[in-house]
Amino acid sequence: MSKTNFLKGLWKEHPVLRQLLGMCPTLAVTTTAINGLSMGLAVVFVLFFSSFVVSLIKKVVPHQVRIAVYTVIIATFVTIVDIFLKAQFPQISRALGPYVPLIVVNCIILGRCEAFASKHHMADSLIDALGMGFGFAWGLFLLGSIREILGAGSIMGITIMPQAYNPLIVMILPAGAFLVLGLMVAIMNRIEQK
Amino acid sequence: MNSLIIIFISTVLVNNFVLSYFLGICPFLGVSGRLESAFGMGMAVTFVMTIATAITWLIYNLVLVKFGLFFLEYVVFILVIASLVQIVEMFIRKFSPPLYQALGIYLPLITTNCAILGAALFMVTKGYNLLESVVFGFSGGLGFSLVLLIMAGIREEMYYADVPPVFKGASLTLIAAGLLTLVFMGFSGLVSS
Amino acid sequence: MKDTIKIIGVLTLVCVICAFFLSFIFALAREKIEGNNNKIQQEAIYRLAPSAEKVTEVKAGNDVIYKLFDNKGDLIGYVFLAEGQGYQGKIKILAAVNPCFDEMKGIEIIDSVETPGLGDKIQGEAFKRQFNNLIISLPIEYVKDVPNKDNQIRAITGATVSSRAVVNILNDKINQLRERLLEK
Repeated sequence: MSKTNFLKGLWKEHPVLRQLLGMCPTLAVTTTAINGLSMGLAVVFVLFFSSFVVSLIKKVVPHQVRIAVYTVIIATFVTIVDIFLKAQFPQISRALGPYVPLIVVNCIILGRCEAFASKHHMADSLIDALGMGFGFAWGLFLLGSIREILGAGSIMGITIMPQAYNPLIVMILPAGAFLVLGLMVAIMNRIEQK
Repeated sequence: MNSLIIIFISTVLVNNFVLSYFLGICPFLGVSGRLESAFGMGMAVTFVMTIATAITWLIYNLVLVKFGLFFLEYVVFILVIASLVQIVEMFIRKFSPPLYQALGIYLPLITTNCAILGAALFMVTKGYNLLESVVFGFSGGLGFSLVLLIMAGIREEMYYADVPPVFKGASLTLIAAGLLTLVFMGFSGLVSS
Repeated sequence: MKDTIKIIGVLTLVCVICAFFLSFIFALAREKIEGNNNKIQQEAIYRLAPSAEKVTEVKAGNDVIYKLFDNKGDLIGYVFLAEGQGYQGKIKILAAVNPCFDEMKGIEIIDSVETPGLGDKIQGEAFKRQFNNLIISLPIEYVKDVPNKDNQIRAITGATVSSRAVVNILNDKINQLRERLLEK
C-alpha cells in the first residue's frame, strides 16, 4: 500500500506530465537544470511539512474554513523556504524570483493537502507528499536540463556541447518551455500506451 | 499618463501574463476548450485582479512597509485574495444575479489562480504606485482574457485536426501555446522607454 | 453562533501562530540576508576598482556614493549605484568613474531579471567591457553596429531594449551626480 502510494507520484500519476498541475513554476523557472531542481526541492519541502501539519490539525479545523487554514499553513512554509534561500543561496533565490512565493498557489500542494492529507493517516499522507514532491522535482530537473542543453549548450552551468554548436536560444525563452513540455507529455503518453 | 499607457500595452501584449510570465496556466489549459467559458473566466479574472491589485497595494504600503512586516507578505496577500474572492462572490450574487450567472462558477477557481497572486507580487517587485498598480492589474487580466480567447479559438479548430494520438489533449495545447508565444514575441519591440 | 466563534477562533489562532513562527525565523535569518546583499555590493566594488586602498561612503541627496582612494591617499574615482526599469523589471548597476567625471572605468550589473538568453547578456563580460574607459562627458549612446565614437557602445543583438535601458539608467544618474559633485 505505502509503496504504491509513493511510486504513483513518481510515475503513474506524475503531477507535471500526467496531471498537468503546477504548470506555472514548471514552465517559468526551468531555464537551467539547477533552477528546475531547486524549485523542485522547494516544493518537496513545502508539500511535506504542509501535509504533516494538515494531518496533525485536520480534526480541529472546521470544515468551512479548511481551505483558508491550509493556505495560511502553506504560505508559512513557503515564506520559510524563501527566507532560507535568501540567506543561504542568494543566487538561486534571485533566479527563481517571484516564483518562490507563487508556490503558495501551486495546485499540487493545496490539492494534495485537501484531497489526501485531510482524509488519510499521517504516514500515508507523508509518503504521498514525498512521492508527488519528488515526481515534481525530477520532472522540473529533466525539463530544465533539456532546455539548458539545447538553449545554452551546457548542463548545471558546465558547457558540454562542442564549440561549433549554435545554441537554440528559443529553448530558454518562454516559447521553448511550452514546446519542450508539450513534447515531454507526448512521449510520456507514448510510453504509457505500450 | 504616458507611463500608464506603456504599462497597459506592455502588460497586455509584450509581457503577457500567460505567455511570458506563465501565470494562470492551469485555467489556461483547463477552460480554453470553449470560447464561451474562456470569455467568462477571462472577465472574472480581470474583475478580481483589478480590485486585488488595488487592495494588496494599499495593505502592502500602508501596513506591511510601515511596520516592517515584509516576511508576512505572502500570508497576507493570499488571505486578502481569498477573502476578496469570497466577498466579490457574495456581492454579485446579491446585487447582480445575471453577472453571477455568467461568472459565478469561475469565481471559486480564482483563489488558486496564480495570476492574481502573481499580479500582486510583480506589482511589488516593479515598484508601481497605486494608479500604476491598478492599471497593471486590469491590463494583466485583459491580456489573460485575450490569450485565453485566442487559444479557445485555436483549440476549437484543432478539435477536427487529425493528429497522432499521443499528441492529443494537453500535449497539443502546450505546443500550440508555444507557437502562440513565438507570435507574441513579435510585439517585443513595440514599447520603448 | 457557537460555530461562528469556533471558525473565527481557529482561523485567528492559526494566523497568529504562523505569524509568530515566521517572525522568529526571520529574526534568525535577517543578519545573514542583509550581509549577503552587502557582500554582493562589496565584491562588485572590488572588481571595479581593484587598485583602491580605501573606500569611503558619502551621501549625496538620496544616493550613496563611494569615494575611492589609492595607497597615497589620492582620490582615484567614484563608484555609484544606478537603478531603473529594464525590459522585465529593475536593473541595478554599480558604475565606476574617474574623479573628473568624464570617463567611465567600468560597470557591474548587480541585479537584473532580464530574459534569459537575450536580455541577461547585459551581465556578460563582452557587454560590460564596452564601458571600460568610455567617454561620458557626452551622453552615452548605443549603436546597432560597430561603434565609431568614444562615447558609444554596441547594443546586444536581440536585446536592444535591455541595452538601451542600461545606457539610459547610467546617463540619468551621471547627470544627476555630476551636478551635485561639481557643486561641492
